[in-house]
Amino acid sequence: MNPEILIALPLLAAFLLPAARRIDASVGIWWGPLVVLANLVIAAMAWWKVQLIGPQSIALGGFAAPLGIELRADHLGLSAAVLLNLAVLLLWPRETPDKARVSTILLVLTGAGCGLAMSADLFNLYVFFELVAVATYGLAAANGKGEALIASLRYLILGALGSALALLGIALVYAKTGTLNLTELGGMSEALSGPAGIGALVLMVVGFGVKAELFPLNNWVPEVYAHTESRVSALMAGIISKLGILVLLRLIAEVFGGSPGLEFLLWVGVLGVVTGELAAYGAKDMRRVLAYSSIGQMGLVAVALALGGETGFIAALILMLNHLLVKPALFLIADAWPGSLKALAGKGRARPLGAVLFVLLALSLIGVPPLPGFWGKYLLLDAIFTNVTEGAGLLVGLILAATVVEAAYFFRIAARLFGSGEAAEESKIPGLPAVAALFVIAFLALSVQTGRVGDYLKEVVHGLQPQELRMAQSDFPDPAASVNGKGERL
Amino acid sequence: MDFDWQHMLIELLVMPTLAFVVGLVMVLMARRLRARIERRVGPPFWQPLWDILKLYSKRTQVSHGHMHEISIIVLLGGMIAMEVFLPVPGFDTFAHHGDALTLIYLMMVPTLGMALGVSACANPNGSIGIARALTAMLAYDVPFIITVAGAAMLYGTTSLPEIIAIQQQQGLEGWGAVQMPLLALAALISMQAMLGKEPFEIYVAPAEIATGPMTEMSGKFLGSMFIMQCFQLYTVSVLYTTLFLGGGENWATFLIKIFVVVAIPMTLTNIFPRYKTEAVVAWLWKWPTAIALVGLFVVMMR
Amino acid sequence: MIPSLDLLLALAFGNLGLMLLAGRNPTAGLLSMILYALQGWVLVMLMPALAEGAASGLAFQVFGWSLSWELNGLGWFFAIITVGAAFFSAWFAAGAWGVQGTRSPWAFHVTLAANVAAMLLLLASRDLLTLFIGWELVTWAGYAMMIQSGGPATRAAYKYLIYGVAGGLAVLAAVVLIQVQAGGLGFAAVAAWMPGISTGMLWALMLLLGVGFGIKMAFLPFHRWQAEAYGESPGPAAAFLGAISSRMGLFGLLILLVHFIGLARLDELLLPLIGLDARILWMWLSALTIIIPTFIALKQNDARMLLAWHGIGQGGYMLLGVLVGSELGVAGGLLHVFNYATYQAVLFLVMGAVVYRTGTAHLDRLGGLITRMPLSYVAMLFAIIGLAGLPPMNGFVSKWMVYKALLDEGLPLLFVAAVIGTLGTILSVFKLIHNVFLGQLRVEHEQIREVPFSMWGPMIALSLIVFITGYMPGLALDLVMVAQTSLGFAALDYHLGGFVTDTGNLNMLAVVSVLLLGMGIGAGIFLLGGNKSKRVHQLDNYAGGHFLTTEVRYHYSHHFYAGLLRLIGPWYITLIKRLEGGIAALTDTLAAGSDGLYRTAYTPILMLAATVLGLALVL
Repeated sequence: MNPEILIALPLLAAFLLPAARRIDASVGIWWGPLVVLANLVIAAMAWWKVQLIGPQSIALGGFAAPLGIELRADHLGLSAAVLLNLAVLLLWPRETPDKARVSTILLVLTGAGCGLAMSADLFNLYVFFELVAVATYGLAAANGKGEALIASLRYLILGALGSALALLGIALVYAKTGTLNLTELGGMSEALSGPAGIGALVLMVVGFGVKAELFPLNNWVPEVYAHTESRVSALMAGIISKLGILVLLRLIAEVFGGSPGLEFLLWVGVLGVVTGELAAYGAKDMRRVLAYSSIGQMGLVAVALALGGETGFIAALILMLNHLLVKPALFLIADAWPGSLKALAGKGRARPLGAVLFVLLALSLIGVPPLPGFWGKYLLLDAIFTNVTEGAGLLVGLILAATVVEAAYFFRIAARLFGSGEAAEESKIPGLPAVAALFVIAFLALSVQTGRVGDYLKEVVHGLQPQELRMAQSDFPDPAASVNGKGERL
Repeated sequence: MDFDWQHMLIELLVMPTLAFVVGLVMVLMARRLRARIERRVGPPFWQPLWDILKLYSKRTQVSHGHMHEISIIVLLGGMIAMEVFLPVPGFDTFAHHGDALTLIYLMMVPTLGMALGVSACANPNGSIGIARALTAMLAYDVPFIITVAGAAMLYGTTSLPEIIAIQQQQGLEGWGAVQMPLLALAALISMQAMLGKEPFEIYVAPAEIATGPMTEMSGKFLGSMFIMQCFQLYTVSVLYTTLFLGGGENWATFLIKIFVVVAIPMTLTNIFPRYKTEAVVAWLWKWPTAIALVGLFVVMMR
Repeated sequence: MIPSLDLLLALAFGNLGLMLLAGRNPTAGLLSMILYALQGWVLVMLMPALAEGAASGLAFQVFGWSLSWELNGLGWFFAIITVGAAFFSAWFAAGAWGVQGTRSPWAFHVTLAANVAAMLLLLASRDLLTLFIGWELVTWAGYAMMIQSGGPATRAAYKYLIYGVAGGLAVLAAVVLIQVQAGGLGFAAVAAWMPGISTGMLWALMLLLGVGFGIKMAFLPFHRWQAEAYGESPGPAAAFLGAISSRMGLFGLLILLVHFIGLARLDELLLPLIGLDARILWMWLSALTIIIPTFIALKQNDARMLLAWHGIGQGGYMLLGVLVGSELGVAGGLLHVFNYATYQAVLFLVMGAVVYRTGTAHLDRLGGLITRMPLSYVAMLFAIIGLAGLPPMNGFVSKWMVYKALLDEGLPLLFVAAVIGTLGTILSVFKLIHNVFLGQLRVEHEQIREVPFSMWGPMIALSLIVFITGYMPGLALDLVMVAQTSLGFAALDYHLGGFVTDTGNLNMLAVVSVLLLGMGIGAGIFLLGGNKSKRVHQLDNYAGGHFLTTEVRYHYSHHFYAGLLRLIGPWYITLIKRLEGGIAALTDTLAAGSDGLYRTAYTPILMLAATVLGLALVL
């Protein structure tokens, strides 16, 4: 199965959906999920193939790089595709007035997201990024409420401006090097080490950072997460922000490694951690707490990326994976406790399972061994002490102080949950929704098998280096030569 | 370590008896001194012993419970144990098994025993007295412990027979009072408080709190406290002599020394009024402590 | 069954699982007790194997590091105390207390088992990562144990959590720093790298480890969390926590600071203006940790708070003894860990019994319980004599060792400071026993009975241990020597009754025997001389001419040391308390600021500003 189908199928289905709806109105309900399910199966099969034969590069339409579009079917891309499809399927929104429109949006999101994960071409990356962004603007407003519309508008303005800056950065890169292909750019680090290249990195960080919830571009996060449906928040916090960071990961790993512009990313990350955790400490309702916590965690990932090196990348990947599993579960469990934090008194006793799992997931975010979040933070500290020569103490101090604040606010909530208060009346929302349970099970599996997952992540990081990729390619017949864009053998 | 059983048994029996007898004479001396200062004749020679026997032979012995009685036993036991561990001329086998630190802490056992017994009487006057007594103990022990530390620094050992040997080797210049005069002065002052004599007499304070700890003690209970007083006078004076006056080369000099040491506070006590509790603490933590600290620094400089 | 570390850990975790499933069952306490006893037996059987280290079969590979566990002498010593404390706590909770004395016996048994399992994992660590994992598990298990009674305990436990997480992260920073510099995590790699480290790195490590482990030990100035956290826990939980939980911090310091870095290197670190070296500074901080919490305990009106504050103070003795560095000092500090665990457990258990029967632990509302609860009184009496450090109990021996070590090393001022701490302790514990057990019995307490055997059994058993190890300290010193030799210090020369040193001997056999003989003679004089004594009612008391009735409270318990506190009351400073409040307020302000930052409406301006500033930064 060709990975291109992962992009093409959902997009095609999205375009066909409005037409199909005219034929049968009920299509809006099952069309989207079915297509995503099929996409998931294809993604899983493609991922398995890459496990067997190693990372591959695919030239779309048989046109080789640099003129043609290159897709990178490697561990990172396909894992991201699988996780995206799974997340979209599980977190399909429910409170939307117009199901068909939301299905369209989600299908576009899925297809473009897969494309984003696998693109090895800057312009392609930008196009898919824009598609994902537009889809999320629509998703943020999906439930039709007034506050959600305003939040979505704010997000849109910020995102559009950011994308413009990112495009400027890409233009700078093209002007300096004459190519947009990541593999070729990887070999042109001298051309990009001048002010234009560094400036391009900064602009791209700012641009792509809007989606990745980086400071100070993340003003939209608390408002959007607070007013959309919890599943949409879960989807955005869980997987969409990771897609944004994934772009930065590819850029840094292949093109900008060691660039002085990474200092900007480091600052952005640290400030994100500190302001995010502090704002969470002061937040008054659960959704905002989780939103700010998400900002904080993304800040940590940004710091890990800025430090680079194998340790830094693995730390970033673990933190991303941990957050991906934990945050959606937290959003879904917290659905049972709407309203202000003060109203939480004693509610945990009515739903003990949900409350206990809330605490467990919070522990992973804080970084308590032997949960996965701990390994992420440990590797992050390791990368700091290894790669940073001066100011390591300040950096570590800030991050650890932010962690203490994180523990403080999560356990303030936990103490209120288990404290004394009137027992909550029976509510229709279960303490542990089924979807949250799935995320929790995946999280527990990750906690238990951290060793194996760690080894896999090492493979992922190795797969990011273009040199290794070219070596892998040389062992096998050039797929671009024997296979055309649709995957049929010539 | 060799167990000289014979010697030990003799010591166990003889030393407390000796302490009691000498203590009785010291009590007599204290009362006679007071009498002379107040221009009276004073009690006859056997009076302290008659007092104890009279109290023991009373027909009504009021007890406030088992703890009341056990505490008296603990009190007496603690004091007897202390006498055994104090080195005197000719008897210091047991003194090798404990040192100055052990003695200081053993000294607190009778105080604690008395405190428990008085509290068991369930009388607030007694409890107030005990609270004041413990406060005074906190007060006088601070300069006292500084002097002990200084002595340990000077002699390089805390074993009492060794300290005596070191002092006697050098004759008069070897005495602690000559080598560390400031510490000796501070110890003398805290000794006055240890004996509970004016101006540090607040915890007994007969006119204020109905004699304080002794409120509910009558008959043989009070008699035992009298016995304790004998032991206490003896113990404190022997400890002071051991640390600062070179111990006793023979019984004659030893007795002279300990009686002189007791005479000083017993005389001073008759001319002072009584400080309040917080004044006791404040004063003892100011002047004797300062003197002791200066003395300690002088010793440490050497 | 071959005794091995695996068996020990299996028993500990098996106990945890059993309690999770069956903790509500009335026999859960008994089962728990049996399992702790079995763990104790395994530990005793492991003693000969400790020289090479009792290794465990558990091993994990993660991210290229391998984690494994192994028990050595030091860990074994602390493990014995842990399992012993758990045994007695479980015994106390096995009977009536488990049913009526607590809100949730399940919570108690589960958290106790979790704590023991976590502590065993910590104590058996073989490399830095297992040490840290064990450390975090112990911190969180302790938190779980503290929150079980709800109400004010939750607030106290929350404060502990903040301190504990901060401390744990300081340790984490130190661990990662060592790992990056030394190139590995195993203790062997660390030991090889340590001798060559620079002074700057030494300062960094000392500060990080000192803060991290010091917070758990409630070392000054991080001591403000422990009193309420331990005091508000229910009886046997407080007994366990007070006995051993803080000492885990001491364990961490012993392994990393004393064993690997070594006390000699601390002498090299000179403070800039004062001219003192780091070791003396630490010793003075320990001395202050002894004095200040003891005098804070003096002011307390709740018996459990009083005991908890004493717990903080006694930790100072242990560190002080170890820092002296001589064999006598280190043995004294380690012995104090054991002694302290024995008598502190008794004290908290007795207060648990008093609360069980009377419903209060407030010192102004009790009195005269000796007539109704004599066994509890005897246990408390033994324990407070131990806590005060008076002969014939074991507390005296370990304190004597620390004092002697200080005098031998020429540190008389520290000796004076330590003794002042003991004097304050004597005052404070006397107030405790006086206000609770002595004095006049209140009307509402006239009908209470002594607690059942399941509750007085452990108290009396521990009191007997306090007495016997005081009479024959050689027994406890056998355990201490195992730890001391594994730390790398020479073994102390001792015999069953005490020590023979060049500068003064201590023979507890002689001292206690003479004391008992003296008491026998005193008993002879007192009981045989004079007539038989007549017992009178407590209201038959001197009252200055009044008749006493039960309506008038005739017990002097309120403001017990009025005179003293009038003098030293103003000396108590609230500096650290205000500092705590300041940090909390600062966090709130910064949080509000961050929240405001995220609520700005003109977000694109921020974006442009960020871009411009970023470009200015990197170009």
